[in-house]
Amino acid sequence: MTIAVAACGGGATGGSGSTQTGSDIVIGEALAATGQDAKEGGLTKQGVQIWVDWVNNVQHGITVNGVKHKVQVLFEDDGSKPDQSATLDQKLLTEDKAQFLLGPYGSSATATAAVIAEKNQVPMVEGEGASAAIFNKGYQWTFGTISPASLYLKGVLDMADGLSPKPSKVAVLSADDSFSLDVTRAVEQYAPTKGFQIVFDQKYPNGTTNLSGLVSQAKSTNPDMVLNSGHLAEAVAINKAAKQLDLNAKLFAFTVGPSTPDFVSSLGNDANYVISPSQWTPAVKYKPQFFYSVQEYVAAYRRLFHAQDEPDYHVAGGTSAGLALERAIENAGSTDPDKVRTALTRLNVTTFFGTLAFNGQGQNDKKPMVVEQIQNGKHVTIYPLDVANAKIQYPAAPWSQR
Amino acid sequence: MNWGEQIVLGLLLGGVYVAVGLGFSLVWGVLNIVNLAYGAMVMVGGYLTWLLFVHGGIDPFVGLPIDVVVLFGIGYALQYVVINRVVRAPFLYTFLITFGLDLIIVNALLLVFKPDFRSVTTWYSGAAFAVGPVLVPYIRLWSLLAAWALAAVMWWILNRTRTGDAIQAVGADRDAAQLVGISLRRTYALTFGLGAACAGVAGALIATFQAITPTAGEPYTLQAFVVVILGGLGRVSATVVGGMMFGLVEVLAQSAPHLGAGYQNAIAFGVLVLVLLLRPQGLLGRTL
Amino acid sequence: MAVETEPDEGHVAAVAVRTPAGARRERVLVVALTVALAALVVVPLLSTDQAQSAGLPEVVDRYAFRVATIVAMFVVISAAWNLIGGLAGYPAFGNVVYFGIGAYAVAVLVTRYHWSFAGGLVGAVIVPAAFAGLIGIPLLRLRGHYFAVASLGVAVAVGEVINNLDYFGGASGIFMPIVRSDLLFYYLMLGAALLAVAITWVVLRSRFGYGLIAIREDESAAAVMGVNTTLYKIAAYALSAALTGLAGGIYAQWNVFVNQDVAFNIDVSIDSILMALLGGIGTIWGPVLGAVVLEFLIQTFAGRGDLAVVTQIGLGLLLTVAVIFLPRGVVDFFGGRSSLGLTYVKRTLRESGV
Repeated sequence: MTIAVAACGGGATGGSGSTQTGSDIVIGEALAATGQDAKEGGLTKQGVQIWVDWVNNVQHGITVNGVKHKVQVLFEDDGSKPDQSATLDQKLLTEDKAQFLLGPYGSSATATAAVIAEKNQVPMVEGEGASAAIFNKGYQWTFGTISPASLYLKGVLDMADGLSPKPSKVAVLSADDSFSLDVTRAVEQYAPTKGFQIVFDQKYPNGTTNLSGLVSQAKSTNPDMVLNSGHLAEAVAINKAAKQLDLNAKLFAFTVGPSTPDFVSSLGNDANYVISPSQWTPAVKYKPQFFYSVQEYVAAYRRLFHAQDEPDYHVAGGTSAGLALERAIENAGSTDPDKVRTALTRLNVTTFFGTLAFNGQGQNDKKPMVVEQIQNGKHVTIYPLDVANAKIQYPAAPWSQR
Repeated sequence: MNWGEQIVLGLLLGGVYVAVGLGFSLVWGVLNIVNLAYGAMVMVGGYLTWLLFVHGGIDPFVGLPIDVVVLFGIGYALQYVVINRVVRAPFLYTFLITFGLDLIIVNALLLVFKPDFRSVTTWYSGAAFAVGPVLVPYIRLWSLLAAWALAAVMWWILNRTRTGDAIQAVGADRDAAQLVGISLRRTYALTFGLGAACAGVAGALIATFQAITPTAGEPYTLQAFVVVILGGLGRVSATVVGGMMFGLVEVLAQSAPHLGAGYQNAIAFGVLVLVLLLRPQGLLGRTL
Repeated sequence: MAVETEPDEGHVAAVAVRTPAGARRERVLVVALTVALAALVVVPLLSTDQAQSAGLPEVVDRYAFRVATIVAMFVVISAAWNLIGGLAGYPAFGNVVYFGIGAYAVAVLVTRYHWSFAGGLVGAVIVPAAFAGLIGIPLLRLRGHYFAVASLGVAVAVGEVINNLDYFGGASGIFMPIVRSDLLFYYLMLGAALLAVAITWVVLRSRFGYGLIAIREDESAAAVMGVNTTLYKIAAYALSAALTGLAGGIYAQWNVFVNQDVAFNIDVSIDSILMALLGGIGTIWGPVLGAVVLEFLIQTFAGRGDLAVVTQIGLGLLLTVAVIFLPRGVVDFFGGRSSLGLTYVKRTLRESGV
């Protein structure tokens, strides 16, 4: 399989007399623009676009051996279907001569895309999460920039450990897709070590929105803390059911959902007090070695997408994948896939997103999760304490008093 | 384990399924059309309710008549202009055409509303009253009542009006009905319109307890299938029974001992298959 | 209540009445098909390393292989469906369950019991067939819509059960060892597709096939005439399951990753039915043409960038319009029974519409 190596030479960039501009680096990404994952796919795309905008318009290209190469990211819509992800990734590689891949959204899609990356021996960097199953297969060509699933609720538990009164009785509601289950399994192992008692632990089919029965069951165990490992639609449904059934836990945490503006707009005041672990929030204080600072990132997001809210971690995840790839290419001094792959394994750089580095299996275990809470309709970061910009509101007020 | 509450919740959920099933059953029973775009139409109802709520401040229940009228219009138009063209072709062709319609409607919704999640949260959404140890949320109770009201209206239309007579006649024997002077074109359009109106109501109810996105309707097509077959094709009473039963089964399946909610769909469908094997015409259907 | 399906005399009488124009057209068709087949087999060989180093042009690339393999896969699934849905008249909406069982059979046998891939494929054929034979006994007592939904229910239920059991890898699924050759899977699927078409051809010409068609037209009459309807139905169902399982088994190794999403995807069932419909139900070539046309459309309409949503709408419009004007399927034209023209279109509209 021939990889087009960016040619050196060619005209000089405008203004600067010493740097030359080479051919574009083509990157492919099959991402959901329609179908079930369209929302999250769209957020990821925004993140990638922020990166591309910075690389092309601010940096004027990635520097490879003194030659700048602009970046072209080709997006294909996989319709939220895993097999389409694979087919389109192959198309991007073969027809469109993409040199690298960025990952899709969703565990199943990422799994099939990872297979394509392995078969074609092309590096794929993804920032949207994937279950451990992909990363313990010994695949060499897939890299994930975000913290593994097992860390998702660990931070929440650590934080809850320090609360008073301690919410020791825990109810866990989990979707049954592999990513959600990874999170839940970690909770099942970690919670007892911190003195929590799991009083309810049930999983439901991925995508179910009739969860009132489950919530009612959970209620009868009188939990202090309700943890949901699932997705946005389910988070909304559970929150509504909890209100309707008067399930008054001291703490509600959802792995996915609360970080998006949709959660707050769908639920209004009912979204308050909700806690969620996050790969990233605008409150983190990382000092970046390159690319925007956190504040600049937020500003760039607002400028590019005419938004007033802050970017959520799906957006940031999309950006982080691009950043990792870029740095690896620069470090490798080449766009040769083998060299870039090696550079990725050795990567260790701090960005607005946190440290980007990969362990032996391709996962980023050097970046901690943060914990957010929705207070008065706004997102604040409450943990770890050194990046918190607000104090936790605990315990959550009973529904009848809101 | 609060069994009382579980059962009540199941029945309340059943209400939604009654609304979901009514439209599907009518169109399938009379027109022999399996409407793959049904879930999408439910979402149209949901979005309409959301629009009215967010931009007009109209309560979802108060807005039901508007839902009904708008969705009826859309359904009527769709049938008259598009689906009527293939209604005499073998049964599976309507399958194909509604598949195309589903693609169009879902993606049109996506284009207009973006994939953002929306929901309708009213000020009274948490209010509930207690019957002993069982908490009954008002909003779900009203959803159930709205669904039953819809069923009653549908029954009345189908059994006590001339329009209903025409619809039933066409359903029983298309050619004979035509011979008697009934306009097939218009009756079909009416029927589909009524089915769409039911979908609209279902969408309004659904918007109150979950998030609405363009693709969130898909599971409801499948569930409509099941509800209709479970109860039996063609009669309002059958669909009511099927819907209530399915709601019960779904909720109770979540508490299945040793299996748990992860098997919820397997149990629900298992029950369906079992019912069909014991009573192939559905619980209340006419004997084949 | 109109619950019957329309009789399909045109296809039953395929062998009987043929116009001279039709006969000529059929000869042309046969020649075209032979050429196409030769091309399908030979052209991909041009992309092997030996051919490439000899300087031959690489006419197809990996992406084209992928698409071709997918098309072949759908030919198998659609033709398999055709046996139970098109010939016997039992519209199974849940045939993807056999795809999934076949896929998992290969995945489990290879990764857990260290069978060879070939051995796994044998399992991928037998296990679904056995399952179909068993569950067909009660299931095939249902008719029409009820059977359709029940079969769908089975698909959902089995998929969910598998998703819950760690023996099958649970939600994380199973990863097979990677086999890099795209060529191999192309030929495997192509072979399976040819097998499926051949089986359909044989069945249509056999007593078995006539029995199935009789069942479709009027089951009670068929029984009265001495057709063992239960046996025939179950045989058709099991055969359909075996073929679908084969496709699933090949797919499992090709895709490397198997889980509920991938293996028990209801879209596969729906797409395969659509393909049979588009191409012409109950015919030999219907599924083939339908698979080619629909997959081509899907790939073409897969949107790039911001256009994705619009192209999907376009696809929906195209399908809707196609169904209105081509209700009998593409094969109708090429079978020599009718010629594409305004008269045909008008007639179909009149016969199908209201």
